[in-house]
Amino acid sequence: MSTELLAGYPDATGRYDELVAAGHEPREHWKPFLAGLAGEPAERMRERLQAVQSQVRENGVTYNVYADPLGADRPWEVDLLPFIVPPGEWAAIESAIAQRATLLNRILVDLYGEQRLLREGLFPAALVHGHPGYLRPMHGVRVPADVMMHIYAADLARSPDGRWWVLDDRTQAPSGAGYALENRIAISRAYPELFHDLKVQHLASFFATLRDSLALWAPQSGGENLTVLLTPGPHNETYFEHTYLARYLGLPLVEGSDLTVREGCVWLKTLSGLRRVNAILRRLDDDFCDPVELRADSALGIPGLVDAVRRGNVLVANALGSNLLGSSTLFGFLPRLSEALLGEPLKMPSVATWWCGEPAALEEVIGNLDHLVIKAAFPHQRVDPMFGEDLDERGRKRVTAMLRARPIDYVGQELVQLSQAPVCDRAHPRRLLGRAIGLRVFACASPNGYVVMPGGLTRVASGADTRVISMQRGGSSKDTWVLAAGPVNTFSLLRREIGPDELVRTGTNLSSRVVENLYWFGRYCERCDATARLLRVALGQLLEDTASDTRDGRAPVLALLRRASILDPEADPDAHDPDDATLVTALRTAYEDDTRPGLASGLRELARVASHLRERLSLDNWRTLNRMARGDRRRRAMALADILVELDSTISVFTTLSGFALDGMTRDAGWRFLSVGRRIERLQSLAAILKSALDGEADADLNWLLRLTDSIITYRARYSTRPQWLPVLDLLVRDEANPRSIAFQVYGLRDYVRKLSELFGPIGEETLEGAAGAIRALDPGADLRHGSAPLAALLEDCHGAAFRLGEQIGHRFFSHVGEASRQTFAP
Amino acid sequence: MRLHVVHETQYDYTAPVALSQQLLHLTPRALPWQVCREHRLEVAPAPGERGERDDYFGNPTTQFLIAAPHDALLVRAESTLDVAPREQAALARPGGAWETVRDAARNEASEFLYESPNVETWRDLAEYAARSFAQGRPALEAAMDLSSRIHRDFQFDRTATSVSTPLREVMKRRRGVCQDFAHLMIGGLRALGLPARYVSGYLLTDPPPGRPRLVGADASHAWVSVYCGTDVGWVDLDPTNDCVVDDEHVTLAWGRDFSDVTPMRGVILGGGEQELEVRVTVSPVQAP
Repeated sequence: MSTELLAGYPDATGRYDELVAAGHEPREHWKPFLAGLAGEPAERMRERLQAVQSQVRENGVTYNVYADPLGADRPWEVDLLPFIVPPGEWAAIESAIAQRATLLNRILVDLYGEQRLLREGLFPAALVHGHPGYLRPMHGVRVPADVMMHIYAADLARSPDGRWWVLDDRTQAPSGAGYALENRIAISRAYPELFHDLKVQHLASFFATLRDSLALWAPQSGGENLTVLLTPGPHNETYFEHTYLARYLGLPLVEGSDLTVREGCVWLKTLSGLRRVNAILRRLDDDFCDPVELRADSALGIPGLVDAVRRGNVLVANALGSNLLGSSTLFGFLPRLSEALLGEPLKMPSVATWWCGEPAALEEVIGNLDHLVIKAAFPHQRVDPMFGEDLDERGRKRVTAMLRARPIDYVGQELVQLSQAPVCDRAHPRRLLGRAIGLRVFACASPNGYVVMPGGLTRVASGADTRVISMQRGGSSKDTWVLAAGPVNTFSLLRREIGPDELVRTGTNLSSRVVENLYWFGRYCERCDATARLLRVALGQLLEDTASDTRDGRAPVLALLRRASILDPEADPDAHDPDDATLVTALRTAYEDDTRPGLASGLRELARVASHLRERLSLDNWRTLNRMARGDRRRRAMALADILVELDSTISVFTTLSGFALDGMTRDAGWRFLSVGRRIERLQSLAAILKSALDGEADADLNWLLRLTDSIITYRARYSTRPQWLPVLDLLVRDEANPRSIAFQVYGLRDYVRKLSELFGPIGEETLEGAAGAIRALDPGADLRHGSAPLAALLEDCHGAAFRLGEQIGHRFFSHVGEASRQTFAP
Repeated sequence: MRLHVVHETQYDYTAPVALSQQLLHLTPRALPWQVCREHRLEVAPAPGERGERDDYFGNPTTQFLIAAPHDALLVRAESTLDVAPREQAALARPGGAWETVRDAARNEASEFLYESPNVETWRDLAEYAARSFAQGRPALEAAMDLSSRIHRDFQFDRTATSVSTPLREVMKRRRGVCQDFAHLMIGGLRALGLPARYVSGYLLTDPPPGRPRLVGADASHAWVSVYCGTDVGWVDLDPTNDCVVDDEHVTLAWGRDFSDVTPMRGVILGGGEQELEVRVTVSPVQAP
């Protein structure tokens, strides 16, 4: 069996092969895994592949690629076969990475402190003063325990002789640890027995160490210690990972505008006011972190953060300024620095690199261009690597001129022949392909020194080009199995014991931004649902022209389409009753064009809001939304009848979503805001629907109205007659048991607002009193009829109250989130 | 000379500002040739939080925060200083060849040798500057020549640029204000491997009898300090007025460029449209 698997596996000519040794013989540490696969029926691999793919898709594991035509979210790629590292080899990697992290941290602390290394000539001043990542305001700032680099990643590659080399250091906010975790969950589930039998080391204690060390070193404030995860937002390429890690580590995910600095401390804006933040695990680049003292062209970040750090009131991980060492320019200096600072030789070499800023190195690079790859010297530059061997005569001249013009911006680096590892062929899961791989390993600081994650993110080159591995360019990834020599530590973060004093109930600690997004999530869900129903009724009227209510329902539906700007709201309704062709075009546009008012644009807004809530939505909710977002792409140019079918399914998705909201969400403050948003939206839409019905003919058929308000079944269950004004209005206005009635929305809103007022002080319960009173005062005999003035006034009142309540809530809870800060300069 | 400086910065906003955080470089630096006798920095409305400290380059700074809504913000800095002449001293030490200064610069003044947020260097600028740097010419003499050429080739024009105009644009249009000329000269010097720093300060508004009124006197001013080797040290040159800086210049702060020493830099929340007015007056005072 293993021979069958290996039969088609290509020889790695001129490269190290991770799977087989000379003679195509599997390496020892792969044998148990291959043997495990050998005993299986042929279709097992295909089943695994499907399970893993669907898990990745449904969990919404994505990597945003700015230039990807598929849009923001491209599914993360993970290969079905793990990358296996035997215990002995891992021990060497682990100790080398811990050493390197220790060394880099010592260098950072010196460069931002006494700068002995510069004075003694051990580190070139140019690489500090000329480095855009040297944040001068951070110089002289002491950080807790002299740790600036809390989390570190190194990109490793294996050369043909089997040695590991460091290709890159990531010193400020390395990404990938969360993806490694997600890969682990997917792949370990695919091979539960093998995973256990091979004694694969677990990852959880690494993350616990990171979290606990941050909490330990963070300045204490007497109360409960709060660590947050700071993200640049959903447009960042690794946003999924931010949400995933936040959830896994149990940290609130925040954006810069969620935090504020007062009295030299950092505070999280929550529903119940400001809450002290003790530590910030950041995924925002450090020069963006404080528009007052750092980058002059960014309003992102937290104004005053540098000062809070300077005063020792908050821990930022990694420390602001740590990007200074994320550069291969310093590779050449590390062996000497290791001797000088640690008194020991550097355990793992860095790939040979020449920084062109040194005149001798520049000449060396130009002389050896054919054998080198030219890269950006500093992490801020976005330059694709250029391979000397690819250049023709003109290209060489161009690159040489480029290097001479701005030598300090470039390095020349020796090419490493990346090793080859087996990957599973998607089309034939039992066939192995050979792909170039690199290994990203992670270390985090702890009071006992640097701890290395026993695993990592194995990155796989996309295809034939074995020189570059880039997620941006469509590469794939692997779970990394580090085999344990002894028993496996099975600690899990999810199993931490919570004491009775840690019990949390109300959710008043929710950040203002999350609450605002929950509120809008509720509103957009309801708005999309209402729009889908309106389109369905309008399309139905067009297609089913034999239905009795067609003529009667047409005018009010047109009025509602105008109100929703689906039809031109400016056009004179009397003079311009649109012909069918115009109407079809308008409905189609509303359905498929997300740049025009209608369903498509509503769904787009919903998806935007949902993306900000990713860490709050359950996986089931997220799957449901994902399914709808995928439908989004095949919406164009459908037949009208198919649109109708799709509308049905959209409406049922919203029914499912509200089911989740009802059944799956805790009744905390966040849920109430979501529900308030829903009901405000529904109250407004109901009031408008009823108004347009009452503006229509007195003797009109009212089936369309019951359809639009999803009340047809209730009506038919209660009355055997055709719809008449009195019972219809009773059902849609007065019946507080009908979730689609005015009374249901008004009373419900009043209750929610009361509950929120209990938590946060008066919000504006009186806003709804007028409407509630007017509903109670309705006289069924006199007022529930076409042409009733009190009814018209009630609808007017409800519409206004819904609007005012929305404004009040926004003003009270969200106002500081929506508006962006901006920078000012005076000469 | 004893000088009295008043620097007022006034913002008017069309909507209330909910939160304002500002970093000021408005307190004159203490220097061998400049002694600050009196200094007051007033902010209205009164900030809820305020603190002072020296920045990375040793310049005094003030940072404040106003959390109460306000429609206007006034910052008034008032100083009385004694400034000693230094032109003659600078000219008395011509210094060595510029190449010697350049070759030692990496070890002696690397801080001011590289590109910075507002100072880019590129080939045209390097070539422009190089025309003043003939082989073996003393660094100070060459730098003064560059300063004269900038004064000659570029026109002072308040309307041509703003604080965010890139240097390449200034080079193309050949006009700008003191800040642009200082950046241009710094870029040229750095492109040749010579350290140069940006100095922010003021000029005497109405000169003593017999001396000409200098350009840029009614606003904050900026000029260049060029490194001329260990013997000569740093010499201040003002390309806007084509002169060596003497006792009519008051030094506020120095850094790599404007962004390090912006007199008032901050972040506001709210505010709508804003109107900014800056008033500077520098007048001589009779020493007692």
